[in-house]
Amino acid sequence: MVRASPPHPGEPQPRCGSPLLRGVISMMPFVSTRRGSLAIAAMLGLCGVVLCGQGLWIHAKAVLAQILLERAFAQTLATGKAVKPWSWADTWPEARIEVPRLGKSAIVLHGSSGQALAFGPGHVERTPNAGEPGTAVYAAHRDTHFAFLADVAIGDEVRVTRQDGAVFRFRVTQTAVVPWDASDIDPLAPGRRLVLATCWPLDGKFASPLRYLVQAEMIGTAALDSSQAQRRFSR
Amino acid sequence: MSAAAASTITAFRFDQATDLRGIARVFGFAAAVLAAFAGAPAARATAASVFVSPGDMHSGALLLRSTQEGRYVEAPRLGTDVDLTVSGPTARARVTQIFQNPTNGWIEAVYVYPLPDDSAVDTLKMIVGERIIVGDVKEREQARRDYEIARAAGQKTGLLEQERPNIFTSSVANIGPGETVLVQIEYQEPVRQSGGEFSLRVPLVVAPRYNPAPLVQTVDFSGRDHGWATVSDPVPDRARIEPPVLDPRSNPPINPVAITVHLQAGFPLGEVKSHHHAVRTETVAPDNQIIKLAEGPVPADRDFELTWRAAESAAPSVGLFHERLGEADYALVFVTPPAVERSDDKRPREIVFVIDNSGSMGGTSIVQAKASLMYALGRLQPSDRFNVIRFDNTMDVLFGDTAPADPEHLARARDFVAAIEAHGGTEMVPPMQTALTDRRGAGENYLRQVVFLTDGEIGNEQQLFDTISRMRGRSRLFMVGIGSAPNTFLMTRAAELGRGTFTHIGSVAQVEERMRTLFDKLESPVATNLTATFSAGPGDVTPAVFPDLYRGEPLVIAAKLAKLDGTLEIKGTVGGRPWIVTLPLSGAAEGAGLSKLWARRKIADLEVARTMQEVAPEEADRRILPLALDHHLVTRLTSLIAIDKTPSRPEGAHLSRAELPLNLPAGWDFEKVFGEKDSDGEGRPAVAPETRRADNGAYAQVVAALAPSAKPLPIQAAAPTGVALPRTATDAELRLFAGLALCLTSLLLLALRRRAARASARF
Repeated sequence: MVRASPPHPGEPQPRCGSPLLRGVISMMPFVSTRRGSLAIAAMLGLCGVVLCGQGLWIHAKAVLAQILLERAFAQTLATGKAVKPWSWADTWPEARIEVPRLGKSAIVLHGSSGQALAFGPGHVERTPNAGEPGTAVYAAHRDTHFAFLADVAIGDEVRVTRQDGAVFRFRVTQTAVVPWDASDIDPLAPGRRLVLATCWPLDGKFASPLRYLVQAEMIGTAALDSSQAQRRFSR
Repeated sequence: MSAAAASTITAFRFDQATDLRGIARVFGFAAAVLAAFAGAPAARATAASVFVSPGDMHSGALLLRSTQEGRYVEAPRLGTDVDLTVSGPTARARVTQIFQNPTNGWIEAVYVYPLPDDSAVDTLKMIVGERIIVGDVKEREQARRDYEIARAAGQKTGLLEQERPNIFTSSVANIGPGETVLVQIEYQEPVRQSGGEFSLRVPLVVAPRYNPAPLVQTVDFSGRDHGWATVSDPVPDRARIEPPVLDPRSNPPINPVAITVHLQAGFPLGEVKSHHHAVRTETVAPDNQIIKLAEGPVPADRDFELTWRAAESAAPSVGLFHERLGEADYALVFVTPPAVERSDDKRPREIVFVIDNSGSMGGTSIVQAKASLMYALGRLQPSDRFNVIRFDNTMDVLFGDTAPADPEHLARARDFVAAIEAHGGTEMVPPMQTALTDRRGAGENYLRQVVFLTDGEIGNEQQLFDTISRMRGRSRLFMVGIGSAPNTFLMTRAAELGRGTFTHIGSVAQVEERMRTLFDKLESPVATNLTATFSAGPGDVTPAVFPDLYRGEPLVIAAKLAKLDGTLEIKGTVGGRPWIVTLPLSGAAEGAGLSKLWARRKIADLEVARTMQEVAPEEADRRILPLALDHHLVTRLTSLIAIDKTPSRPEGAHLSRAELPLNLPAGWDFEKVFGEKDSDGEGRPAVAPETRRADNGAYAQVVAALAPSAKPLPIQAAAPTGVALPRTATDAELRLFAGLALCLTSLLLLALRRRAARASARF
């Protein structure tokens, strides 16, 4: 059996202009060996697995967090106090948002930092609570918690259960695509409104400066029935 | 056989060595690529140094719209005049500033003024070139509608809305080439009293990124770390400034500030001291002095702080002022409870120190904070328990639970504090939560206190307040504001919610004294269960709930009464003993602006009630609006709308003295400010001939960053941009795709390898 011989250490390397190119070329002899290609394959495979794992972890976090948040929110409704979903969380559940027609729901968290959004929709700061005069804004990721926004149509009902037990019903009136820093949402505008925001385009892969807004107006309140307080998370 | 084996082994080892070298080369290459990508953004960041945003400003400035979206450049400040009138417990300030458009085109700007805590703006007057603009307080929606109407009619107006409670902004449209902008605002604030000392602070510090003063060029930095040094001669071009007649246009790079304080204290004055500037005082009467800066205008590089005490024999423990406005009497009462000696109640304390070591604390602030904390550690008794937390955007807790203050633990704490460096962001909520977490519960006999040292530079104040009001429990929260310009609104509100106090430390010299005062407060019995009763009938009293008082701190009550009659009785418990004081209201002295103070406090009370959900939001709004409108205050629900009131003039006529809706400060000559253009006819001010090249560099940088237009811009639709929406896209999908792609590539490589092996095996 003849093996391709490794390069002699003293062999002169071709001199090229850029150090990058030189780096690549210097690796070539190594890469072409059996061990070299095995090492490369192993490294690529490892990176691939790690990246896949990270991608899956992001989704897993979103799902797991909502389960814990449902439990914490049920406790909040029962006791009337803000309950942290896990001990090292620096956010807490504020409301549950549901779209009855689609059968989707999610627990909304206080604040809209990156940390909070990983676990559920966030209540954007300086906007009032849903049901209060003004425009409440809930934002979430387009590929996890607000993936269902693509199916929300004008005229759909959105129900928000607040942490004090009050339930408000909203009807979707319009949708819009706006830049993130020129949303034209006035939190103090008259009337009681709700805006659900997520990234646009909804099936995009890359971060974008545009946001997809679903705007809804309040049509009434509903009573919180006891079964809702113990409802299990359903997707 | 052995020789063959040996040669195989050496051959094998040789292969291994080469393989290792090969692997090393691959990783080295990958590292180099990553480093190249990581290094690039850092290089880009240092380029933009003249741009600021309104939130960065620490003193009044005109920000010109620049080439970068959302970022501004400070207009050259030709002069600032601050005139303060102190009448007893309130201070009324009139700030006049002149700016200049350094370009040859038309430009848009935003005027920004950061106000002291608790202050109320009620007047705005602007002169932009030849135009006169006067402000009026209206309900927010109404103001916006009027603004739209005026805009549609082609009138030029500006809207002044409350962004955060201590920063006010007003947009200014269409400033002509080389035109000067004169802005005058008036605001009112209460005088702070603590332990017999009254104090007043005027924020002057220029934003850190752009300082046109030649300070940087004249100071010697050798031997000092962090590029910070004490300036011995703060006004290097002293010879060129001729007080009192100041021609602002001939001193563009210096940015001078003139301060005058008319101090009518209401009692004979003892020591009057300015902490960061040299001053000259003129005594008009035993209780009336006029204080001016000693060397005339100074550059604005530190806040102006004035404190005064009563003359020894006449130390007041009670101050009573009133103002009659319309149908009602507004009273302001200062009462200092007697300083009771520490009684037998020697409860041990459980005290948690939290220190902010974020990047914004860099320079002298972190030195002051560490010195304060070292002093505090030295004051602990062996029976006390303590803990130390340091935070930036990460957090380190020294002990798992509070530890007894014995020499061993104190030594560890001192090492911990000494090693703290300033870097990183600011995440204040987690350390606050950790500090307020009470493991001992109400059963134990510990007095629980939290001392929080920070400069308060965070944006999400509401989140912090929510945390404090939720987790407060038994703890008392003491905020220590560090540095020359801390966020006093945050500190005071946090201390209020935490039933503690706010101490401000502005220089290393103040550390010892102010920390000692703070510790006296922490160690002495507190005045609790305070109530106030007016004999003539219930008045509308603020604060609705009286806070606990600490040693030497006054009780400040603002009340609206139908008539100033009868007496005021104040009851409370000091050190376990009941305390009563009765004041005859007829002895009240005349004050000014007390109605506005009362109204602002009522509004603050309602906002706090709204935050703590004691009052429904609509109810709170319903009560705040009439207060704000009646007393001309800018709040969350009202705005100051600036309307163009330029009288129609014949063609070619310029602004005349009679048209001026305001008083120019002393020393500002109308001719010099608004008079005819220079003899060279260019319309730009004469630049002082000996301006240093370095100043010209900074100036040129300012001009280069601006984007003036050749003619007046049509009034832009200044529609509010609305709520900023957060990033709502994860890179999960990208990662999955990339991961799958890499896995496939690696499988492909393995397959190729096997095929190559099989192919070579055939030979």
